Amino acid sequence: MRWMQVLTLALLATPVGLAAQNGGVTRLPGRVPAAALPAIDSIIATAVAESLPTEPLVQKALEGSAKNIPVDRLVNGVRRGLLQLRQARAILTQAVPGQSPPEGHIAAVAAALARGLSGPIVERLLTVAPTEPPGPALHAAADLIAHHFDPDSATDLLVEAHNKGLRGVRLLDVAVAADHELQRPGGRTPSEALAHVRAILPNVPVPRRP
Amino acid sequence: MSPIDPRLQEALDGERDPGELPADLGEAYARLISAAQLLAATPPASVAARVMAEIRQTPLPVPVQPEGPMYRMARWLTRPRAVTVRLRLAWTLALAAGLAAILLLPSAPGPTPGATEGIANFVGHFPGAQSVEVVGSFNDWSRGTLHLSDDDHDGVWRGGAVLPAGQHEYMFVVDGERWVPDPLAGRYVDDGFGAGQQNSLLIVRPVAAQP
Repeated sequence: MRWMQVLTLALLATPVGLAAQNGGVTRLPGRVPAAALPAIDSIIATAVAESLPTEPLVQKALEGSAKNIPVDRLVNGVRRGLLQLRQARAILTQAVPGQSPPEGHIAAVAAALARGLSGPIVERLLTVAPTEPPGPALHAAADLIAHHFDPDSATDLLVEAHNKGLRGVRLLDVAVAADHELQRPGGRTPSEALAHVRAILPNVPVPRRP
Repeated sequence: MSPIDPRLQEALDGERDPGELPADLGEAYARLISAAQLLAATPPASVAARVMAEIRQTPLPVPVQPEGPMYRMARWLTRPRAVTVRLRLAWTLALAAGLAAILLLPSAPGPTPGATEGIANFVGHFPGAQSVEVVGSFNDWSRGTLHLSDDDHDGVWRGGAVLPAGQHEYMFVVDGERWVPDPLAGRYVDDGFGAGQQNSLLIVRPVAAQP
């Protein structure tokens, strides 16, 4: 059963690389409503012209079509994605001046913006680790803020965790540890939970393999 | 053998009247005559022989049976036959090795994630649902590629897949039409289509990053 799923996913993933050369638009006909195709093609062509990643836009078009979203809202959703990609590149350019940001970093920052992270928080985390993939740190911050931790205090904790050697997905463990402290019986406040995790850095628990 | 009295012999041969015999010989004469009569009579049939004879004589009720092709096939299949199995050494060893492999080796571990992949497990509680599948960015939001199963019919649907490490947005599709965020995802993101609907967010860790 699982082999079949992996095989299917692999077969689905194969065209992704091939389609990336033309912005992925060849995956859209037949799946996206014909009425939406011209507008979406235009948005993706704009992304290509601006050297922005197109895969998030293709995914958004496929998602909206699968959900039977009306055409106008579907096109608006893809356009909103383009705007987030532009904003993401602007933040990256400001945080890490002098180099063209990789597409993966742009997509990660755009995803963080979609999760509600503010520009200044994103920029601060990018500045701490300018050459590392920003996704895990940004998601860790978004996780903490989603659990009602103070955004600035949460960012401070993540910066300190990075300074003490935690990288990549281990930063997600920092957010998990803070949340566990918050849920612990006895009633820790968010600031107490953050302080506890800060005290044990960098030795936050590692989650078990599923 | 003890010699028999001549007078008794004559009485047994009918040459002398048994009434002329003395009393002791008269008793012996009477016992011998009784024994001779017993031996001459037809012995009664044994109880077992009588029961078997009774069974043979009683006609068995014959059920009315169809004589169609299915009945004939069933009768042919159920008819007792002598089967002779000759196991050659090579075949016997091969059979034993196959059985040992099945019994002793661990079950197939399934797909192994690569260094940049991780395992994603999905669980959802959908009592009464006929089907639940996972649709998301990892399968181009295509239907029919990742189905969950509820083998014990307790309403808890489960499934897993090896996915590329990183962020994936997804939703459950229940009974082919109802789009539901994963209540256990813990991370959600607005889907951006203006109706306030949220996608579940999954961050797959590379298996190399897990203990």
